[in-house]
Amino acid sequence: MLHQLKGRFGAPVAMAIVGLVGIWLVVMVVLPQWQMIAYSFHPNLLPAEIGGPKDHWSLTNYATLFDNRIHLAIFFKTLWSSVLVTGLTLLVSYPIAYYLAKVATPGQAALCLLLLVIPFWINEILRTFSWFILLAFRGPLNELLLALGLIDRPIRFLSGDGGVLVGMVYAYILFMVFPLYNAIESLDGNQIRAARDLGAGSVRTHWRVVIPHAKPGIATGCIMTFMLAAGSYAVPALLGSPGSRWFTQIIYNWFFEGGDWNQGAAYAFLLLVLCIGFMSLVMRLFKVGLADIAR
Amino acid sequence: MSAERFRDWGLRFYLGIFFVYLFLPLVIMGAATFNDSRFPTVTPWRGTTLKWFEALWADGGMWDALGNSLLVALGVLCLAVPIGVASALFLTTVESRAKPFVYGLILSPLLTPGVIIGISTLIFWRQFDVAGGTLLTVLGQTTFIAAYVMLMVMARLQRFDRTLERAALDLGASPWQAFRRVLLPFLKPAILSAAVIAFLQSFENYNTSLFVVGYDTTLTVYIASKVRTGLTPAVNALGLILILITIGLAVIYELKRRRESRLAAR
Amino acid sequence: MDGSVTLDDVMMRFDDFTAIEPTRLTIESGEFFSFLGPSGCGKTTLLNIISGFLTPSEGQVRIGGEPMASVPVNRRPTAMIFQNLALFPLMSVYRNIEFGLEVRNVGRAERRRRADELLDLVALGGSGDKPISALSGGQKQRVAIARALAVEPRVLLLDEPLSALDLKLRQHMRTELKAIQRKTGITFIYITHDQGEALTMSDRVAVMSAGRIQQVADPETLYQRPATAFVAAFVGENNRLPGRVVASDGETTTLDVPGLGRLAGRTGQAQLAVGQSAALFVRPEHLRLDTTGDDTRLEGDVTSVSFEGAWRMLEVCLADGSTRLRVLLGQGAGPAANPVAGHRVELGYAPRDAVVLTDDAPADVDAETGEPLASRTGEGQHAASA
Repeated sequence: MLHQLKGRFGAPVAMAIVGLVGIWLVVMVVLPQWQMIAYSFHPNLLPAEIGGPKDHWSLTNYATLFDNRIHLAIFFKTLWSSVLVTGLTLLVSYPIAYYLAKVATPGQAALCLLLLVIPFWINEILRTFSWFILLAFRGPLNELLLALGLIDRPIRFLSGDGGVLVGMVYAYILFMVFPLYNAIESLDGNQIRAARDLGAGSVRTHWRVVIPHAKPGIATGCIMTFMLAAGSYAVPALLGSPGSRWFTQIIYNWFFEGGDWNQGAAYAFLLLVLCIGFMSLVMRLFKVGLADIAR
Repeated sequence: MSAERFRDWGLRFYLGIFFVYLFLPLVIMGAATFNDSRFPTVTPWRGTTLKWFEALWADGGMWDALGNSLLVALGVLCLAVPIGVASALFLTTVESRAKPFVYGLILSPLLTPGVIIGISTLIFWRQFDVAGGTLLTVLGQTTFIAAYVMLMVMARLQRFDRTLERAALDLGASPWQAFRRVLLPFLKPAILSAAVIAFLQSFENYNTSLFVVGYDTTLTVYIASKVRTGLTPAVNALGLILILITIGLAVIYELKRRRESRLAAR
Repeated sequence: MDGSVTLDDVMMRFDDFTAIEPTRLTIESGEFFSFLGPSGCGKTTLLNIISGFLTPSEGQVRIGGEPMASVPVNRRPTAMIFQNLALFPLMSVYRNIEFGLEVRNVGRAERRRRADELLDLVALGGSGDKPISALSGGQKQRVAIARALAVEPRVLLLDEPLSALDLKLRQHMRTELKAIQRKTGITFIYITHDQGEALTMSDRVAVMSAGRIQQVADPETLYQRPATAFVAAFVGENNRLPGRVVASDGETTTLDVPGLGRLAGRTGQAQLAVGQSAALFVRPEHLRLDTTGDDTRLEGDVTSVSFEGAWRMLEVCLADGSTRLRVLLGQGAGPAANPVAGHRVELGYAPRDAVVLTDDAPADVDAETGEPLASRTGEGQHAASA
């Protein structure tokens, strides 16, 4: 390993490379994760008790979740809602990605991509905040619906999960559009035309030709969107109500209100397991590898 | 009208709606800055004012947070760019059976929710008595931003013709000279782009920072706390300024990137 | 300065594949020496061993008599012209040429003086400030040569440098390369699968096959007196007639060729035992229709005639029904030499013009491997050089 690096870059640069990569992976990636997991399997102790008889491995922090019906419900709500967000985002994004990749002229596609990239560059908090204003009880959307006579009195958009879902689709849509676009773009347009010539209808063409080709893009987009949705703190905090809490908010509370880091670590690890589980499932379903995702 | 054209018009209509969906909330948020209302909204319009810019200017907490954000972003830049470049060089040079494993490890921060990166960083450094603050924010953000830098540098590195390095050696250059004079200049555009992205990622980060900022609040964390407690249109004023700066940067970056890809295509 | 290159039993193994069989060879200082062979024969590996990119599994390389085993790539007195040229795309012509001097800390003024000198040598004077992307294929070629010469190598290694050029330019560059070699007096070691290049430029050529040098000789000897069946088949065009030796002495060998009877030719190798399998090679230009008294005769049907301007190429299917011979007819050939497809003809050759060699060449290596390779390089490369 070091031998190959030395041969190419010389000893000093090779050492620097190994040092930087090593420190990053060990001190910033592996050990912190390990420490978090270790924390989650230990009880929360007073400083004086650390190293004492009570300081041993245990599953109590995980038992807490299964004993707490509210937390358990929020965990599954987070899981289900994240799946919903992922599905919705995929539905909304697919036509956009297809248009950009196969219908638009290069000039149109370039302009649209630029327009897509701009909101992507804007802070997630600000994007969420803008929906907060739009969906407010006395906000423009309610006023518009009232003026059109579609509703009689304003709707409390921000009291259920609806606002959170809309905000998340909005916040993470670009993580879906770009992988999809990249995947569909590499499809040879003649294949679509050939399918049409053979009499395949529009839906059939997409189902049989475009979607199978775009699999790695769909997988990447879904994995990223799910991970971002399940791990989101800003969107539910801003657009949700006390009755529609997200699992991340419970984790935050364990750390900064409950003061029980071990308990928080256990919840955080469960969230991580959830994301890894979803990722493995998608990778298996779509038969893609890690290398396809990183493109 | 053929089915094909019907479909195309349908797609265009959908695209139009989509872009309204994308931009309308931002426009409304910006517009609310100028409404003379205690609460940020555009309905009802109570008269046009610039006073919320003044209020923002006078907000000391905002300035502190901005200073912190810039400091953190600078720190992340100094760590994440060298680490990302080193990882890309590592992955394109080393051929071994351990490589897929290392590759997975390097990508893992991108597939881990930001809050978890924040939490693990916070917990890990507690044993060294390092509490949340600027330092931990830099470390936490670097953990995943370095992986973004790696991907961007790697994309360019894969197009590098390694015969050029051989040519440099053959002409008498030391490996260091070949690296310094041939490979680095080739990577420079990707490294600069990655640096810009790293800076912005850091500046905008919320999920990871939330857990590790301690009392050294960054601007994003500050905005979020303002939205929940003490919301006034001054937040909109700040948002509007940030959006305008971001759009400006995005356009410059995109134009520059396109010019480069045109040059490269020649 | 001595630019001789000696291979002392150099041998190269990759895992269980032997890329270079033990090879002993000396290339004289100031010589234009070519390695000729089909792709995969090991010639590029040999070049990489000489330049120092590869370390031989056994044996050693000496340049000017000095062992090179402990001398790394960047300290060897060699310079390489790469197949894709490997010009630094982000540097100007000047900075490319000066690169080797720059890394040796040669002063700015001196560097520029050398670069200008070299640009004049390769007929590119005044182009120093151009970016590489502004050059044509031929100009890039010249810059690559100037860049390699700038470090004053004792040996210049050329790895199929002309393969990216179109046919016309390639032929022009042959003359040019030869002229530069004569002017500078540097040892040129040239790698190619194109026998035209090897034969026209080289003082000596080593023909390689499957990691082994088959013959080292000047171009004319290679053509007239091939030492192995591989060389006979690979260099120039040849008709191959396999059979068994029935009689052999120092001068003449007679073969029994199934379906065609006894055919005689010059003995090409010392050790031809009666009964062993061997092949008779006779070149198309040595076959004639107006046979004379001593000729060995063959009968067959003309299957095709192609008119090529100065000559015509006949294809004749012999009496055994499967052997096909190519016959080259010059313009001076008499009225008898005007057959059309379908005619039965009698062919003849003088036994001293044919050669019998041990038939160790795999059947598909004769004209087929040599010919398509040589003609293929002219196509599809125009875009790259435009």
